[in-house]
Parts: sequence; C-alpha cells; structure tokens
Amino acid sequence: MGKITYKRLKGSQNMRQRLLLATLKSTPVLIEDIHADDTLPGLRPHEISLLRLFEKLTDDCLIEINETGTKLKYKPGIIVGGSHLVHDCGVSRAIGYFLEPLILLGLFARKTLVIILKGITNDSKDPSVDTFRSTTFPLLKHFGVPSEGLKLEIKSRGVSPHGGGEVHLAIPTVQHLTATMWTDEGMVKRIRGEAFTTRVSVQLGNEMIYAARGIFNRLLPDVYIASDYRKRSEAGNSSGYGISLVAETTSGCCISADTTVSYPRGDEEEDIEGEEKKELIPAADVGEKLASVLLEEIEKGGVVDSTHQGLLFLLCALCVNDVSKVRVGKLSPYGIETLREIRDFLDVQFVIKPDPSTGTVILKCWGSGMKNLSRKTT
Amino acid sequence: MAMDSGADGQSHKAHRSRHSGASAKKKTKAKNKDQNSDQKQQNPKAFAFRSNAKAKRLQSRAVEKEQRRLHLPVIDRSYGELPPFVVVVQGPPQVGKSLLIKTLVKHYTKHNLPDVRGPITIVSGKQRRLQFVECPNDINGMIDAAKFADLALLLIDGSYGFEMETFEFLNILQVHGFPKVMGVLTHLDKFKDVKKLKKTKQRLKHRFWTEIYDGAKLFYLSGLIHGKYPKREVHNLARFISVMKFPPLSWRTSHPYILVDRFEDVTPPERVQMNSKCDRNVTLYGYLRGCNLKKGTKIHIAGVGDFSLAGVTGLSDPCPLPSAAKKKGLRDKEKLFYAPMSGLGDLLYDKDAVYININDHFVQYSKVDEMGGTTNKGNKRDVGEALVKSLQTIKNPIDEKLEKSKISLFSQNPNSSLEAEDHNRDSDEAPKLIRDIEPLKQYQSNGEEDESEFDLDSSESSDQDEGVPEGAMLKSEGRNFEEGNADASERLGRVKEQVEFHNGRKRRKAIFGDGVDHSNLKSNEGDEDDDDDDDDNDEGENDRSNEDNESCSGSEFSDGDEEDLKSEDDGMGNISKWRASLVERASKKQNINLMQLVYGKSASTSNTSANEVKDDSENEESDEDEFFKPKGQRAKNSIEGLDGGNINTEDCSKSTKFSELKNWKEEEVYESIRDRFVTGDWSKGALRNQMLEAKTEEDDMDGDFEDLETGEKHESHQKDDSSNGGIQKEDDDAIEERRLKKLALRAKFDAHYDGSESPEEETDVQNGGKFHRSQANDSGYYDKLKEEIELQKQINIAELEDLDETTRLEIEGFRTGMYLRLEVHDVPFEMIEYFDPCHPILVGGIGLGEENVGYMQTRLKRHRWHKKVLKTRDPIIVSIGWRRYQTTPVYAIEDQNGRHRMLKYTPEHMHCLAMFWGPLAPPKTGVLAVQNLSNNQAAFRIIATAYVLEFNHAARIVKKIKLVGYPCKIFKKTALIKDMFTSDLEVARFEGAAIRTVSGIRGQVKKAAKEEIGNQPKKKGGQAREGIARCTFEDRILMSDIVFLRAWTQVEVPQFYNPLTTSLQPRQKTWLGMKTVAELRREHNLSIPVNKDSFYKPIERKARKFNTLVIPKALQADLPFESKPKNIPHRKRPLLEDRRAVVMEPHERKVHALVQHLQLIRNDKMKKRKLKEEQKRKEVEAQRAKDEQVLRKRRREERQERYREQDKLKKKIRRHVEA
Repeated sequence: MGKITYKRLKGSQNMRQRLLLATLKSTPVLIEDIHADDTLPGLRPHEISLLRLFEKLTDDCLIEINETGTKLKYKPGIIVGGSHLVHDCGVSRAIGYFLEPLILLGLFARKTLVIILKGITNDSKDPSVDTFRSTTFPLLKHFGVPSEGLKLEIKSRGVSPHGGGEVHLAIPTVQHLTATMWTDEGMVKRIRGEAFTTRVSVQLGNEMIYAARGIFNRLLPDVYIASDYRKRSEAGNSSGYGISLVAETTSGCCISADTTVSYPRGDEEEDIEGEEKKELIPAADVGEKLASVLLEEIEKGGVVDSTHQGLLFLLCALCVNDVSKVRVGKLSPYGIETLREIRDFLDVQFVIKPDPSTGTVILKCWGSGMKNLSRKTT
Repeated sequence: MAMDSGADGQSHKAHRSRHSGASAKKKTKAKNKDQNSDQKQQNPKAFAFRSNAKAKRLQSRAVEKEQRRLHLPVIDRSYGELPPFVVVVQGPPQVGKSLLIKTLVKHYTKHNLPDVRGPITIVSGKQRRLQFVECPNDINGMIDAAKFADLALLLIDGSYGFEMETFEFLNILQVHGFPKVMGVLTHLDKFKDVKKLKKTKQRLKHRFWTEIYDGAKLFYLSGLIHGKYPKREVHNLARFISVMKFPPLSWRTSHPYILVDRFEDVTPPERVQMNSKCDRNVTLYGYLRGCNLKKGTKIHIAGVGDFSLAGVTGLSDPCPLPSAAKKKGLRDKEKLFYAPMSGLGDLLYDKDAVYININDHFVQYSKVDEMGGTTNKGNKRDVGEALVKSLQTIKNPIDEKLEKSKISLFSQNPNSSLEAEDHNRDSDEAPKLIRDIEPLKQYQSNGEEDESEFDLDSSESSDQDEGVPEGAMLKSEGRNFEEGNADASERLGRVKEQVEFHNGRKRRKAIFGDGVDHSNLKSNEGDEDDDDDDDDNDEGENDRSNEDNESCSGSEFSDGDEEDLKSEDDGMGNISKWRASLVERASKKQNINLMQLVYGKSASTSNTSANEVKDDSENEESDEDEFFKPKGQRAKNSIEGLDGGNINTEDCSKSTKFSELKNWKEEEVYESIRDRFVTGDWSKGALRNQMLEAKTEEDDMDGDFEDLETGEKHESHQKDDSSNGGIQKEDDDAIEERRLKKLALRAKFDAHYDGSESPEEETDVQNGGKFHRSQANDSGYYDKLKEEIELQKQINIAELEDLDETTRLEIEGFRTGMYLRLEVHDVPFEMIEYFDPCHPILVGGIGLGEENVGYMQTRLKRHRWHKKVLKTRDPIIVSIGWRRYQTTPVYAIEDQNGRHRMLKYTPEHMHCLAMFWGPLAPPKTGVLAVQNLSNNQAAFRIIATAYVLEFNHAARIVKKIKLVGYPCKIFKKTALIKDMFTSDLEVARFEGAAIRTVSGIRGQVKKAAKEEIGNQPKKKGGQAREGIARCTFEDRILMSDIVFLRAWTQVEVPQFYNPLTTSLQPRQKTWLGMKTVAELRREHNLSIPVNKDSFYKPIERKARKFNTLVIPKALQADLPFESKPKNIPHRKRPLLEDRRAVVMEPHERKVHALVQHLQLIRNDKMKKRKLKEEQKRKEVEAQRAKDEQVLRKRRREERQERYREQDKLKKKIRRHVEA
C-alpha cells in the first residue's frame, strides 16, 4: 500500500542498465527528459521495443509514457520468463542490444527463458549474435551459470536496414551467481571466428577470412575462421557481410571483436559513421581492420574485451556476498557508466586499482548478494 | 603402597574376607564372571562380525548415521569479532526469569543487578560475550524475541508443569529458524516428596523431548538460597551456556539486524516544545548482527515501521573482549558489563534523561564535572570553565604539536586547502542552508561526539601522524567528557581496544544537543587548514548532515559540484575507526584516483537517496555535472567517449573505433604483443599475469609517499620486480595460493576440532578412525564443499584486509559485530512516549525487494492445537521476517490440474495454500499467524504456521460459479435461455461456453438472442429484455429443463495489510486491528444470516405423468405388421362371447357327470397310492440308516483290532531286533 517512491533519473542514457537493475532490484524508476531536445523527442523505437520486451518477461509491471514520450515511469514486476516467447526487436538496433540485458534477466527469472528474437542479428554498433555465442556464454560460466541450458541458435541472419534475422535464445535460471577471482588473463592460444555473407557472394566472406588470417598468421598458427554463407530465407531481407573473431587464452578468457558491413538505414539517423555513409568497405579491408581491432583488444589486456566490461561488472555486482576480483583492460566508457549505475542501484562500489605495469585495471567488489527470489519453492 | 608402609610400622589386624555365606558366594560369582569376560576380551575374534549380513547391516547403518549428521555447509560471512550472543530468557510470569538473569549476571560479573530492563551485555569468557534479554510476556514481545535469540532459556515452573507460553514460544522459534533451546526447571523446592519430584522431572523431561528432540537439555534449578539460585547450579548453567554452539540461521545470515541496547531521543528540544507530538528523531545503539549493513539499507523497527537510515556510525565497542594475552580465565577487570537500559552500570535510563553513575574513587574531578554539565542538558556552560577544561584536556604540549604540524603539512591532501576554501565559501554563501541544517547538525553532532571522542583519544595516543587541532579539541571537549585513561589504548592501534574500562564501567556522555558548540564547529571548518584528517572528518559530517537534511526536507544541495572534487574518504571520514598509517594513506590516494574518476563524488549514497525523494532539479544537475566533472584527470587517463555530458547518449556497449588503428602489419607493432600469445615468451606472459597478484599486495607499498621502514620494504620488492623475477613472481603466486589453501585447511581443522568437544562430533571422529576408507569415499564431496567455502572465506578475508578501513567500509558496509549507532528521523512520537525498556527493540535490515508489497503465496497449516478452522478473509496477524502485520488471507488448494481453488475454510488437518497481500518476503521464509494478541485468553494463541512459496503480483485463485437459466423458447435443437445472464454484454463474454441441462443434454452458448427470434416483449410495447442467450444443444430440450453453466471465476484477494504498531501504544493495551466478521457480529448482536434455500427439506417429488407414445400415421403405415402398434381399443363392456350362457342336452349332461365321477375316482386312487409309496420309502430309509450305523461300528472295531495287531507285531519285531 502507500505511495510508490520512484527513483528519479534523467535522459535515455544507460536505459538498458537502468531498466535491468531496476527490475532486478525492483525499484520503480521515473526517467525524465528522454531525448527532450531532439527534433523528434521521446523514446526511440528500440527503447520502446526494449520496454515491450521487459513487459513481456515480467509479471505485472507497469510502464507509463507521457504523450511526447519524454517521460517514462517504470514499476518493475516479477521476472517470470517462460518459453514460447517471441519478440520483434525492430530494425533500429540489433538483437545484441536486447540480448545484453536479456541474459541477466533470464538468469534471475522464475522459469527458464526460451525466446525467439527477430530483427537485425549483425550490426556494427552492437555485439553480434556470434559474439554472444562465442564469448558471452563462456563468460557466464565463470559465475556459476550452467553451460548446458545456455543456447543461442541463429536461424537466419539479418542485417540492416531491413533485418529479417531470427535467433532462438534459451537461458537457464540460477539461484544465485557465485563470486569469481578472475585475474589471470592467460595467453592467446587460438583464434576462432566466423565470417558471414547474406545475399552477397561467398567470395566476400573468403576475402575477409583471408585478410584476417594474414594479420594473425604472423603471431599465431592456430587460426580458424569459418565462413557462413546464407541465402534465401536464411539470409534475411538485406545484403551485407561481416566477421566476428574471438581469441581464446590459456586461462579460458575469450576476447572478441566483430563488425558488419551493410547499407545503413536511411531514416532519421544522421550521425552514422562516415565510412558507412558512402560506399561499403571492401571485404578485405574489413577483415584486416577487424583483425587489428582484435589485436588491439588483446593488447589492452584484461579477462574480457571492452564490449563485455559492462556485463562483467554487472555479474560481479550481482554475486553472492563474496569478493569478486576481475582484471580488465582500459575501462571503456560503457563500463564506467555501468559502474555508476551499479553504484546507484545496487549500492555496490568497486575498488578500482590500476596495474601500471600491464596497463590493466583490477576491480574488486563485494557482491550484493542478489538471489533469485522469483523462483518458486516446492 | 601406603598401606604397606603403614603395615610395616604397626601391625594391624588384617581384613579377613568371608569364605562362606551369601556374600562369599556373590564374590566368587563376580570373580568368575570377571574372569570369563576377561577371557572373552582376550579373544580378538570375539567381536568380529560372524555374519556377513550383519556386518553389512551395521556398516550401512553407520554410513546412514553419518549422512544424517551432515548438513549443507553454510558459509559464515562474519569475519571479525562476533557480536555477543543473545540469550533470551523466556517463561510464563512468576517463574523466575529476572532472577535467573540476575544470578547469572552476578555469577559473571560479581555485580548485583537491581532491575532487569533491556539487554544486558557481559563478557563471559575470553572469546565470548553474552547479551541477556528477558522475554516480555505478551505475544508480540515473544515473536520479536524469537527473532533475535541465539539461545532461548525456557523457564518452566516445575511445580506447575508446562504452560502454554512455553509451547507458543517454541512454535514461534521453530517458525523463525530454530535457534538453540535449553529448558530450565525452577520451583523444584515446592516438592516435599523426593519420589514425586523425580517422577515429575522425568515426565517433564520427556514431554520436553517430544517437543524438541530426544536428549534436549533440560536443566534443573533446585530451589532458592537467600533469594538466589544456588551458586553451583548457576555455575553449571553458565558452563552449559559457554560451550553452546550457535548454528547460523538462514534468515539471519542474510539480513542485518540490531538488538537495541540503548535508545535516545535526539529531537531538538525546541521542536518538542513547540509541538510535543511532532515526529521525533531517535538514535538506536546496538551490535550489528546477521550480515553486513550497507549505508543505503532500509530498516524495519519491529512494532513501529519501515524507515530509511538518516545516519549510521560505527562506535567503539562498549563491552569489548579482553585483549588476547595468554592467560587463563578472565581478570576481574575484564569482566565488563554493559546495560544502559538497566538501572545498574554506567547509565540509568530514564524516560527523558540519562543519569550516569560513577564510583567516587574513579572520579577525576577536573575532568568529570563536565558530566555534570552533560547531565543537566541544555545548561550552557561557563565560557571560562570551558576554557580551563580545554587546557586540562590537552594531552600534547604545544611544542609537540608544532613538531607534528610539519608532518601533517606533508601528508596533507593536495586539494585539501581548496576544499577548506570551498567549505568556507559555502558556509558564507549559504548561511540559510546552514540555518536549515542547524538543528539537524546538532543531533548529528551528538553522535559525532562519541566518535570524535575516540578519535581524539586515539589521535592523541597514536600521536605519530598529526597534531590535534585545537579547534577540534575544543569542540569535542566542549561536549565530551574526556576518557579517563586513554593511555592504555595507546598500546593498541585498533579502536576496539582503545577504550579502557574501570571495572566494567564505561562513562559515556549523554546530552541531547546544545547549540553552543555548533558555531564552534563551523568556525573550525572555516579556518583549519593544517590537518586534513579531522578536517575531512568534519566535512564528512557536514556533508552527511547536508545529505540528511536533503533527504528529509528536500532542500537543495547547492554545493554539490565542489563536493565532487573531494577525496573519496571524505564521506567515510566520520568513522571513528578510521586510522591509517601514512603509507596506507599514500597508497589510498593513489588508487582513489581511478575510483574518484569513476564514481566522481565521494558520498555515494547521497546521489541515490536524494534521487529517491521528491524532484529537485538541482540535485539532478549535480548528478549530471558529475559526468563531465573532473576534466583534467579524465583527459589524463584518456577516458573519452563520455564526452558531451549528454544525458541522452546512445546506449552502446561496443566502443571500437576503426579510424585509429595501428598498423598491425608492421613488425614492431605486432611484435609488441607477441608475449600475449602462446607463441611468445611464456615467462614474460606469466609475469604479466602474476604481476597483479603480487601487485595488489605491493600496491600498498609503492605510493608516492614512503615511510622509513616501509620504504625499505618497498625497495626490496622493487628489486624483486626489476631483477628478472618472472619465476620469482610465479613462485610468489604459488606461495600465495598455497598460503590461502593452508589457511583454509587450518580453519577447517579448527572448526572440526572445536566441534569434537560436543559428543556428537566425537563419535564422528571415532567413526573416521574406524571406517577410514569408507569415510574418505563418502564425505569426499562434503569435504570438498567445505573446503571450497573455507577457501572462499580466506580469499575474502585476504582481499578485504588489503583495503584500508574507509574503502572497506564503502565496499562491504559495516561489519557484523560492530557497535553501531543508527539515526532514524521522523519516528512517531508515541515510540518515545511509550518506550519501555523491558520490551527490547529489534531493528532489522530490509533485504532486496522486501519493501515492495504484493501477493504472497504461502503453504499454511492450521495449528493442531487451535480449536477452530480458519475462515477465508478473516483477518489474521502474521509474522514474516522482521515484520508483523495484519492481513486477510484467502485460502486455496491446488487441484490436480494446477488450478488454485478457493477454500472457504482451511482444511482440518492438511496443508493448504494461503494467499495474502503484504510486504514481500523471499521464498522459504517462515510465517507465523496469530489471531488474538490479548494476554487473557487461555487457549493456544498460534493459529497457523506457514512458509512462503512464491510471491506474485497477481492473485490467481479461482472459485466455482454456476449460472442457472431457464429456456424461454425452444426451437429444434436451439433454445433461448433466460435468467442466466443479465446483459447482452455478459452473453458476449460467455460465447462458446459449455452448458448442460439437468437431464444431461450438453450444449453451448452461441450469442445474445436477436429480438425478432424470441424476444417478444418489445413487440408488446415493453423494453427488450437483455441477457437472453441463444444456445444450441445436442438434443431438443424441454421447457421444464434447467440449464446450467459451470465456470471458474477469479477470486480477489483483498489488498489489505495493517502493520502492527505495538510499540506506539502502551504495552499493556492490546493492539486492535481489523475485526473478524464473527467478532463484529458478536459485538453488534447480529445473528448469522441464513439462506432459506440452503436448508434441507424433505424432498417431495410428484409422480411424473408421461403421455402415451403416438406414432404418426404415415410412419405406422410403413411399419411391418410386427412392429405396428396393435392397440385394441379399450372396451367398457365384456365381449359377447364372454357374456353368453351354455345349455346342455340331458344325454350330454349324463355323460358329463359320468366323466366327472370317473375322474374323481381316479384322483382319489392316485392320492392313496402316493401316500403308500411315501410311507414305504420312509421305512426303507430308516432301515438303511440303522444298517449303516451297525456297519460302521463293526468296521471301526475291525480297524481297531487290526491296528492293535499291527502294533503288537511291530513291538514284537522291535523287541526281536533289539534282542
């Protein structure tokens, strides 16, 4: 009873983490000034889609949006999960955008989550679905998530602008996450990857692979990049190509990089990167560049790449009441934002110590002791 | 031997043992027996298993026992000193509870306790403290006491027997995680007859055992000596208590809680004067138990409600454990006790004041008279007096201070001067703000006194780091009385040992805030710039109070941006424990840089707490500022991408830039990361990995500042680093890991060893010896689990030890076992007014998501001693977690298909589901239900127990509904049904629903009936009748049929809960909440409404008349003749044939008569013959029976004869043979 006190926030930044943490901690939030100064004010389509997804997964959550869409009231419900769910992610952001919060939600749901996500599978902005399979799932293993239940099947690939991809995701539930001491980054022992092409020639994929191997071969012989040629119904609605690479180390860390090249969606987004605006980058260049990106990620050090920092911190903060210690490379902006959100929502602070000799950062935290409360007891 | 020697000296008559008689016989018997047994024992095979099966059985039993003993190991996350164990003494009135506490306290401390009020903390051993609490006699008090008890002493009047209170309390304990229980029988001196006493003891013991477990300890206190329990018995009881082990209980290990042993009202007196019923600010003191308490945690005060903490401070332990010197037992000096609410000890707790008791010979008058000032609060002290006192209290002469000032300058925070300035400006700029804060600050300062007091002591005593600012000293001096002898504390750097006690007396100040000093404090802040430590401290305080103020009044927090720059420790500086060596400080400064960058502002909680309250855009702005605040540093660390401070930045986890890539084709570029690959130099790669382990240890060392001794250390490490060191590092790492493992093992062993004291464990050890192999196999997993847990614990300890106090506090919150002071604002004044120290206050931390309200589903069972079943929607009072509230449950049961069907009443002896609305509790939490809180009812007050299955936002309990309708028009197989629905809308809702007539004809609802079909009333001028449904059936129904629609309808669970506010009213008054329907009826003298239709009446059924079957003519024509209805028309008159008369001829008549005669004769003959035959047969039969009998007799005789012959023959043969 009584009135609900909302936690007040501003702006659409970190919407995902905010909604996620609010749901996990069950704190109602009120977000104001969402894209208030833009020419098209209000929530973006992908944000709305994200809210829909949250609504779908939770029981009795309350979402209120004002007419202009600049103000959002969110009262979380209980995370239910369940199977036979379908969600259309739209084409404004890739599925990766939705997957990141979805994984954590799924872990703390009442029932095992089995969901079909439709939309853009590969994108240059968000981690691709291949990366989730190759890097994110092994990452979860360190926190005591059983690897059997984790599944991500790519039924069809879709790239921007029209999407059309479909993935099947299954996430098991956990009682709680276990703390981890994960500071040994190890040495890269092998590099794996997947190059895909949709509605374009197979040759492009091979070019990418060839170029990427050219870079790696100087450092490591164990490089294997598979090619995934999709056509017809499996290839979605647009043409494009991309590559995702993952470097595995001797201590079981996965460092990944991925990118996709396709025609940008020509609508309201004006601030798309320059190179994509005009011509598409040649496949060979893409392979080479992405290989370089991966090497740079490796150079930065840490047990995860910069993309996964946020997720890593979230997982650490959601652990049982034990000390978790992880090592990451340079803190990414997203990681920093996540750290702040964690502080605000979960009241968990990290001790951040730089390790100047390697240029890495060591983070330590005392887990918040989150338990899966929505699970039913018998 | 002695005898022998004696015998040598003097000849005694030797003992002559008996050689005959009863006793001699007995002796020999015993001797023989002994010998026998000896022989047996000498036989090694004697006790080996003879039978294979038996051996197997025995072993399997042993294994089974072993398995039953195992529990899932629970990780114990309390790392420091344990809080005192709470011993709750419970029993019915007049059973001797207070007396037991008094005698126990006397036993431990040699002090007489006049009155038992509130918790009494004592040091009972070198490693153990106890807190005695008397359980109040009302059910609320019992419930609360059960929630914090570690050990419950159940006092039972032996002369009377068990009383309901004991069983009620046991039940409550069971529901809230069963802590240890020990029964104590008193009043045993009432028995004059020894035999009766023995029998009673036996009986009570067995009854007690059935309730707990076989072998549960029941202690006997035989009587009173000088009005106290016998010393020896109390001593024994104390020993039982001292060896008691307390298993962790799951609810408590996951929630912080505090048993309040000191409670103060710190509302500014002006406010109270203005309005005596204004909301109060209170401070609550007590040991933190359960788990760590974070600053942002909300709390629940049992019987009052939920509050957010306005401030938490860790205080020094008022009743510390003795220092760990090697000696046996406790010194008298260390037998401390602390009971501020009781009369004895240092404080006498009164409603509106605290009186302090000091023995005269401990008083040092020059310092103590401040206390006089403190006790009559509000009195302003003389300025001169204060000055003199300030001089007296200075420990360090001025020259010393000057010396140290240099050091403090050196260790000064680079931006501290800036801060000070800022602060100065702030205070100038916003006097109004400070005005606002002022009252708040005052009581804030109240709490601060404590800490600053200790701070002061220690800073003086530790006297290496910095000089004590005069201002600060003045301030603290102004309100504090000086600690008597702080010199003892100098030995020990830790705060826990800092306070020295005199014979269990610790003097504490007690003021409710006097405004004078505050200005002092403020001015302090303005001009002090030489000491950053205390400065920080004050700022932190100020800062905090600012926040506090904000959070409660919503005033604006204008100086946020300056605060941002402050170093991390500011917010935490107020912890008196904070004590860092210079090295630590230096290292901290270094690693704070990154944390500062990430988290910006120091006071982390301010952000959120402020956010949570009403909207203050200012605050948000400060929040927003934070993102692009520390520009310089951020640039330095090259963390860009947060640029723009745009609150609507795109949410993207990927941040790769393709534009600025190195050219990885160049050799030097790719060779630079060669070592990150397995193809590179492994030792270098390993070095890189291991660095961090060593690094973390060493980080502390290489700050930008070095002390002399540590500097040396540091250098040596550096050497290690610089000299190739790869292998060295590896070794280091390995060593570190080994060390951890060793520690874990040791701890495990310790745990095991400790356990072996209890008999249970001992057997286990023996078992281990016996079945060495089997155990290794069996409990391998268990051991592994235990080891893992222990390892994790050691890791945690190691990692946390690494941090300095401030950061540690920030990271893990206040540790368990700390003595905390909680400040809570806006508490209803009734809590103060009706505060009763005999009712302990329980403060529980609220866990994740527990402040939300929703529906909870519980599995409930009515208590078997409650006489009635429970009715759905009758209000009950439940106790879940820390809370007690009244709610209205709806009972249900799960059907086979998973449907939750509502029950009107709980089942008699079965579990059922109960769903109710209230603040959520995590699944598996125990629930206790009572209906009546009053003390005067004789019966058992606990009505049901339950536990939470899940929580839900939506209730999904259904009940059966039966809609009844009547046909109003029947077509062929379609009928219009009326009275089933009231509107067309309703019909639309039920389209497609299955229906059935009484006669069993099934059908379906189609649609609302159209007017033209059957809805005549409109034609006749009336309104069209709504709610007539068109239904189809599998057969044509009759007008006399009744049509049913059976469906399930959602049952609404009332959204009602009413927190029990028992602390906000006089304790003797029973709390009144929502009444049950029955109570209301009784009160208003209303009878139970009865539905006449529900009465059973004799059933009267009219015989049903059926019309005859009519076959249509056309059909009849087609039928074969056989099947044609052959209905002969019914005649009234008999047929002609029947009616006519027969007349015979004379001849005919003669013939007819003759025939008749002949027949008669024949019949007669036949009859006679028959009779004769019958007789004959009977005779024959009789004869035969006779013969038979004779024959049988003869045969028998023959047989006998034959047998006799045979027998004789046999005998003869045998005789022959034998011969």
